[in-house]
Amino acid sequence: MARVNITINGQKIAAQAGQTVLEASEEAGIDIPTLCDHPALQPIGACRMCLVEIARQRGLQPACTFKVVEGMEVRTESTAVVEARKFVLQLLFSERNHFCMYCQMSGDCELQDLAYRYRLDHWIYDRAFPKLEVDSSHQHFVMDHNRCILCRRCVRACAEAVGNHTLGVRERGANSMICADLNAPLGESSCISCGTCLQVCPTGALMDRKSAYLGLPDEVEGVKSTCTFCSVGCGVELVTCYNHLIRIEGDWDATPNGGLLCVMGRFEPLDEQRTRVLRPMVRRDGALEEVDWEEAQQFVADKIRGLQGGLTGLASPRLTNEALSLFVQLFRQGLDADAGSLIEVPKFLGQPEGDLTLLDQADLFVVVGTDLTVDHQVAGFLVKRAVTNRGARLILVDEETNGLASYASYHLKLGESARAIALCTAASAPAVIYGTGAGTDLDQLRKALAGKAHFVGLVPGANSRGALAAGLNGAARLEEVRGFYILAADDQVSEDLGERLKGVEFIAVHSSYLTPLTERADVVLPTAIWSEKAGHFTNTEGRVLELARAVDPPPGVKDDEDILKALATKLDVTL
Amino acid sequence: MAKVKVATDWLDVCSGCHMSLLDVDDRLVELLKSVEITSSPITDLKHPPEEGVDVGILSGAVGNTHQQAVAKEMRERCKILVAIGDCAVFGGICTMRNFFDTEEVLRRAYVETESTDEQGAIPRSPELGKLLDRVKAVNEVVKVDVHLPGCPPPADSIWFVLTELLAGRIPVLVGDNLTYE
Repeated sequence: MARVNITINGQKIAAQAGQTVLEASEEAGIDIPTLCDHPALQPIGACRMCLVEIARQRGLQPACTFKVVEGMEVRTESTAVVEARKFVLQLLFSERNHFCMYCQMSGDCELQDLAYRYRLDHWIYDRAFPKLEVDSSHQHFVMDHNRCILCRRCVRACAEAVGNHTLGVRERGANSMICADLNAPLGESSCISCGTCLQVCPTGALMDRKSAYLGLPDEVEGVKSTCTFCSVGCGVELVTCYNHLIRIEGDWDATPNGGLLCVMGRFEPLDEQRTRVLRPMVRRDGALEEVDWEEAQQFVADKIRGLQGGLTGLASPRLTNEALSLFVQLFRQGLDADAGSLIEVPKFLGQPEGDLTLLDQADLFVVVGTDLTVDHQVAGFLVKRAVTNRGARLILVDEETNGLASYASYHLKLGESARAIALCTAASAPAVIYGTGAGTDLDQLRKALAGKAHFVGLVPGANSRGALAAGLNGAARLEEVRGFYILAADDQVSEDLGERLKGVEFIAVHSSYLTPLTERADVVLPTAIWSEKAGHFTNTEGRVLELARAVDPPPGVKDDEDILKALATKLDVTL
Repeated sequence: MAKVKVATDWLDVCSGCHMSLLDVDDRLVELLKSVEITSSPITDLKHPPEEGVDVGILSGAVGNTHQQAVAKEMRERCKILVAIGDCAVFGGICTMRNFFDTEEVLRRAYVETESTDEQGAIPRSPELGKLLDRVKAVNEVVKVDVHLPGCPPPADSIWFVLTELLAGRIPVLVGDNLTYE
């Protein structure tokens, strides 16, 4: 990048061509306050907090949008600049109704931080006290217009980062209001509950319901980890307070999601309705009775010995690589038993393929056999934002009900992907994203586009790649098995599995929750859930991502690995 | 040396700011060596003396004609006027009624409250202050010299303001002394 020499506060700085004054200052370690600016979004110069003096410019200029020019002289702390910042803050505070004493964001609010920084101790302008709405129609968050400073970060996040374009601004000037769709209540709008707007809001205007008032900034901790609700493996920051998980945020620095999350990873995990298993249980006279660990594990070991080879182990793809590896060692090598997983992955998705971070460069997407508005939603955001912001085109090959249909230039039926090939060969950077429904379409696309298109496979389940790498893919057989040992973790277990295991002599289950499977089990051993586990998951691209133990499991609840190790000892197996 | 005269009163308040003032605890005894508190809402004399005081301290917002008169009287009778607490400085919680018509507010308070029976009625005695159309911060009614926000301002911040004034300085609020909550 060409070098551009500028001076900031008398200091010579080597900036790069195309940088803004704000970017150049940040790199040089010179702080300029901002409100509407956000590293993940394009700057718009709305808030005017970043105004600086630039020699020979007629007025103060916003550093966030002003590009550097050779020989430019910038002053970021002159009297005029500091007065301007205070003026902007006084205007912001006088425009709407900003009261810190009852706001859940107090202590963690960018607007408040600036008021403290500039030592504002009273307001100098008359205040309008406009009567503004609080929109609490949305299930997961509340929009309080009284606290909004119209920075439009939410609008930009919804448009640029996610490609959903639900939020906008209606009216003008002092009557401007953030709105959803054509002024619909948020809860009835096209919002997909990704929560990105919530994460970028600098004030308490967008309020997360579950975590509001649950911890002051100095009482909460953030632990980086990985989302475990699909195989994209988004980087998350788990916000905890006194050993409770109160909020999940996207990690802006993480790959492959860059701060984005979807409803399944951000909000649904905190809406858990199932009952937690807290004590080991053994079924006696038809009912599960609580027992201690020693008794439960001994009972299981004795039963396994009694089965004399009629045992199959099954692992959920929600287990970590470490737990899966230990499971395979114990069952296949140690006990010479069959080992399988609770999910079956089609052969064409058997190997990791593709890099989600390269999708931002694609000019044509062929999405085959998957609905990215349901599964792997963050991958869907990458497609939506390319189509709506960059003019990329989408060819959808799937059922009519696919949620991406309105984004598609062409919507083909499964089996018709040959028609997409000509468009792909003409594109400069086509990408083919495929899911479990892809089948024969994928073969055709590969034949024609190998080497030309970037293929990205989206495997079902969470750590299915970890399971596949450990040699586990579905269950070899479920019939004629005398006993099952199932590591269900915190998985959603279908009624179906419980039904299919009827008539089996013995079922032992590792489970975090009471499920249709624990209803059938003879022994239930309580295990940690995803946020209580340390270990690794392998995402659909083959990236090994780290899980951190953000909260301790309830006392008495164990890790899958520890239970397996104890079982091995009881069965005289060395792992 | 003559004691510095201080008068204090409260307007539309919860009295939390005066409780916070009392939270300076035994430092108050030390303070009284150089300060004479001429009047306060919690002592016998309520009004600042006619001859005036050096420092007037007001907490609470101006919400009715009575409070407006108190604020004006305090301003006339003191050299340095200190507004303490979010209500005095910003209008605070009291401004919640600014989104409603005063009649609506009075009806809600005296007639429609869940625990009021059919006998509820809005008191209209001429002796009572009349609600202003809008609740105001003290600085919207009279000139204020020192603002100490907080809900309430911590006792240490109140102490800081008093000691700075005694030292002949207008206090500059930094760090923990400046809080909006």
